[in-house]
Amino acid sequence: MDVPQPLIWIAKIVVIFGGLVGTAALMSLAERKVSAWMQYRIGPNRVGPFGLLQPLADGIKFIFKEELIPAGANKFMFRLAPALSAAPAMLTMAVIPIGGTAVIAGREIPLSIADVDIGVLFLLAFSGLSIYGVILGGWASNSKYSLLGGLRASAQMISYELTLILTILAVVALEGTLNLRAISENQASIGQWNIWTQPLAFVLFTITMFAETNRHPFDFAECEPELVGGFHTEYSAMRFALYFLGEYCAMTVLSCLNATLFLGGPSVPFWPEAPWFIGVAAFCLKAGFFLFLFLWVRWSLPRMRFDQLMRLGWKVFLPLALANLLVTGAFISFGAH
Amino acid sequence: MVIVQRKELTFAERLYLPEIFRGLSITFSKFFEKPITRQYPEEPLPTDEVTRGQPRLVVKDDGNIACVSCGMCEIACPAYAITIDGGETDRQIEREPKRFEIDMLRCILCGFCEEACPKDAIFMSNELELADTTRRGLVYDLEKLKRPKSALQPRIDYVYRINKRWRSKQP
Amino acid sequence: MSQPTTPTPSDKPATIKIQVDGREVEADPKQPLIRACHDSGVDVPMYCYHPGLTPVGSCRICQVEVAAAPGQPSRVVAACRTPVSPGMVVQTDTPKAHETRRECLEFLLKNHPLDCPICDKAGECDLQDYSFNEGQGKGRSSEPRRKLEKRKSLGDVIVLDEERCILCSRCVRFFQDVTHKPQLTVSGLGSRSTISTFGDKPLTGNYQGNLADICPVGALTLKPFRFQARVWNLSKSLSTCAECSRGCSITVEALRGKEVKRFRPRFNAQVNQYWMCDTGRFAYAPVTQPLAPAGSALGGRLAGAAVRGYGGLELVEVEPALAEAADILAAHPKPLVLLSPFATQEEARAALELCATLGVAARFVSPAPSALKDDLLNTGDPCPNRRGLTELGLAPVEPAQARVELAQARAALLIGERIQELLEPAELAKLPAELRLVVFDVCAHDLPALDVAVGAPTHVEKSGQWLNIDGHVGVLNVAVPPPAGVGPLERTLRELRAALAPSAATR
Repeated sequence: MDVPQPLIWIAKIVVIFGGLVGTAALMSLAERKVSAWMQYRIGPNRVGPFGLLQPLADGIKFIFKEELIPAGANKFMFRLAPALSAAPAMLTMAVIPIGGTAVIAGREIPLSIADVDIGVLFLLAFSGLSIYGVILGGWASNSKYSLLGGLRASAQMISYELTLILTILAVVALEGTLNLRAISENQASIGQWNIWTQPLAFVLFTITMFAETNRHPFDFAECEPELVGGFHTEYSAMRFALYFLGEYCAMTVLSCLNATLFLGGPSVPFWPEAPWFIGVAAFCLKAGFFLFLFLWVRWSLPRMRFDQLMRLGWKVFLPLALANLLVTGAFISFGAH
Repeated sequence: MVIVQRKELTFAERLYLPEIFRGLSITFSKFFEKPITRQYPEEPLPTDEVTRGQPRLVVKDDGNIACVSCGMCEIACPAYAITIDGGETDRQIEREPKRFEIDMLRCILCGFCEEACPKDAIFMSNELELADTTRRGLVYDLEKLKRPKSALQPRIDYVYRINKRWRSKQP
Repeated sequence: MSQPTTPTPSDKPATIKIQVDGREVEADPKQPLIRACHDSGVDVPMYCYHPGLTPVGSCRICQVEVAAAPGQPSRVVAACRTPVSPGMVVQTDTPKAHETRRECLEFLLKNHPLDCPICDKAGECDLQDYSFNEGQGKGRSSEPRRKLEKRKSLGDVIVLDEERCILCSRCVRFFQDVTHKPQLTVSGLGSRSTISTFGDKPLTGNYQGNLADICPVGALTLKPFRFQARVWNLSKSLSTCAECSRGCSITVEALRGKEVKRFRPRFNAQVNQYWMCDTGRFAYAPVTQPLAPAGSALGGRLAGAAVRGYGGLELVEVEPALAEAADILAAHPKPLVLLSPFATQEEARAALELCATLGVAARFVSPAPSALKDDLLNTGDPCPNRRGLTELGLAPVEPAQARVELAQARAALLIGERIQELLEPAELAKLPAELRLVVFDVCAHDLPALDVAVGAPTHVEKSGQWLNIDGHVGVLNVAVPPPAGVGPLERTLRELRAALAPSAATR
């Protein structure tokens, strides 16, 4: 039976976006479960088996919560900001190949929503947009805590975006393409993984990932101790949940990107001819490791101070990333050829 | 003024990453240890005779209440939680409570009533749970307070044991 | 314990000087030594001695060390049976005196049951207090206590617990010395001695209740008060008995400050000494379930006020009720004003001010004397403030005459506690509905004539003064709070006068 192409597109969109949002929801549960296990606790276990339905219960609760808009808030911006935060994080997932090419009923289907040549550029452009959500939310709330939180978050995200871009650039320079599918296909066997050629870039990218998503130990956008809740202090109900959805989506996307750029995407070590679904599983495993790392770090390490964060970003990571790019460029220009 | 000498860090420590991994390994090792959480309603708190729960009235083995409404617990109660109205009974002991109320919202579980009672009629049970939808429902009357003596026997034995200076032998 | 104070008669008797615990003390030679000790503020225990009764010296708890003069050899004597002599040296706090008293106490406690938790006397029991102060914690006797009758009824008022009795014979002497009609005796021998009536007949007379007061232990208890309250939960306030014009001084005791449980006589040398009659003692029932006989409207006590609406009496706030009363009085000048004989001086003065505004004279309702009159305390006159009202210029009026005048009047004011009862509600109900009737009383009867009723406090709910038949002032204090919405009657009357004055001026 010949399935029309648009149907396949819709199916891919549903599966991948559904998977993304599902992952984000599960992460909210995993966050609590992991922290509980690390502290000799059990964690949520009342809703569904092992508490698996907890995100659903939370979602229902969020929907029925009262929504408060502070007096003096810019209502339009206040309502828009959470969507601006969540939407770019979800959109970037479109260019990430979660596997090679699936063969279903004799039909070859590339396992990414959009296989664009400027994949990396698209991804960087859209993830850069999510900063608007944070700073607009902070500004529109008409609250000193929110404003300071939003400003801090934007300063942090802009600073670390540089390092992020420079490390990705090193990989892109090495691969010679902006197409993420091409990048992942170039690392088919374990020996070709970029982690071996770009170890410094991998470390920098992994750490920058935390700062880019405002995660602990760089969670200055929220900073509960000194700014109550940072940019989302005044948010409640589903809009509050939307910010968290955006954060978890961004985490998921960056984890996938890390797996694609440095760990060969869906490539399975020592089994180059692995079927496509094993490849997808391998990809999920790699991305899942980084997601776990997010939680693991959060519940292990203390927070940094804001000046330490900026010093690390500008004085350590940026020079290192630049040097790494330079060395890579020199290697490409004068090296093995 | 105290000048704090900061510790001189080694290069490995200044590199920060090894220390991070050390911290991560510690938390990861805790991952597989047994949780100490108690699943409260399913696993109730352990109680024994030392537990000073809510006060309860002793019903003797012959089915009569041991209380003679002497009012000692009422006057000993620091929270004014107890209210007693006495009345006449045909039993050998001429007096018995017609109304005996403990406002459990006021009760602070101090055990003074148990100490004050000259008739071994009120003891701190091991019952700790207290919930109702109305305040009136938490003012316990005679029927809610009565417990057979056998249910309170461990506590009675314990009270006699620790107070053996003035509580010589059980009747 | 009851520490009596000496009456202070105008003609002071000749006193002699003795020394009590190192202090010079003036003593009345007609009184026993224990009175001199008590009057000088020295606590000497006593069971059988009662200042109102002949001393017999049977309990021996009042023993003190006495020497005829300083430096003379001393010996231990019972203070209640020793007359005072000039220069005598009394020591109450010596080891010898304590030792003797403790030994007496041990004998008394030998057979006294340990049922303080059950005993109604606990908390005001002399034996309990002295045992606590002077006794030892444990009995040395291994013999069982005697077993006697725990619930022996001595008539309608008194129950005797023979086990608790210490045979002080106060009760026996009460009937000999006070009522002069002996009814009790100590019968039996040795440890089987008990208090009993002659021929086991029930006690008679109107003064039996005093036995429970004078009993130093819990042997004689009042049937109506039996097991009703622990005495430390009773709030006590000084008051005056309302049942006759004698106006005995009493203490009103209310459980937790709310429910009157007991009237007890209070020592007053000029009026009632230590006693009161049972009529007054058990008169607290109409105060606690206050005067709400069948037929009284709106559920007994009138909390607030009531006015006649289309469907009968309706509960309203006091202020509109007073406004309506003022309207009635403005439309019908020269109303008939009748006061209750229970009205205090303060209420009567407020009523007289009101009458001056209305331009009428007030009288008080004076029922016929009752058959309760005796030669001891009860005067038989049911008007506790007759003397006071008369001195204020109010004339008495018989209830029958009052009803005749009411039937002819166009408007009438009935003021004071129980006035409807004294005029008999059944008779008042026959009054024509055209009569505009305003009533200030503790309750409201559904009388056809009644237009406005305003709640008033009972005599245990208000403070004020009565004058008894001999002109002695009897005080009233608030023993229990009146129901919400009921204020002092004098204040209500002044408010009515204030509401009336402007309308009277415009007329």
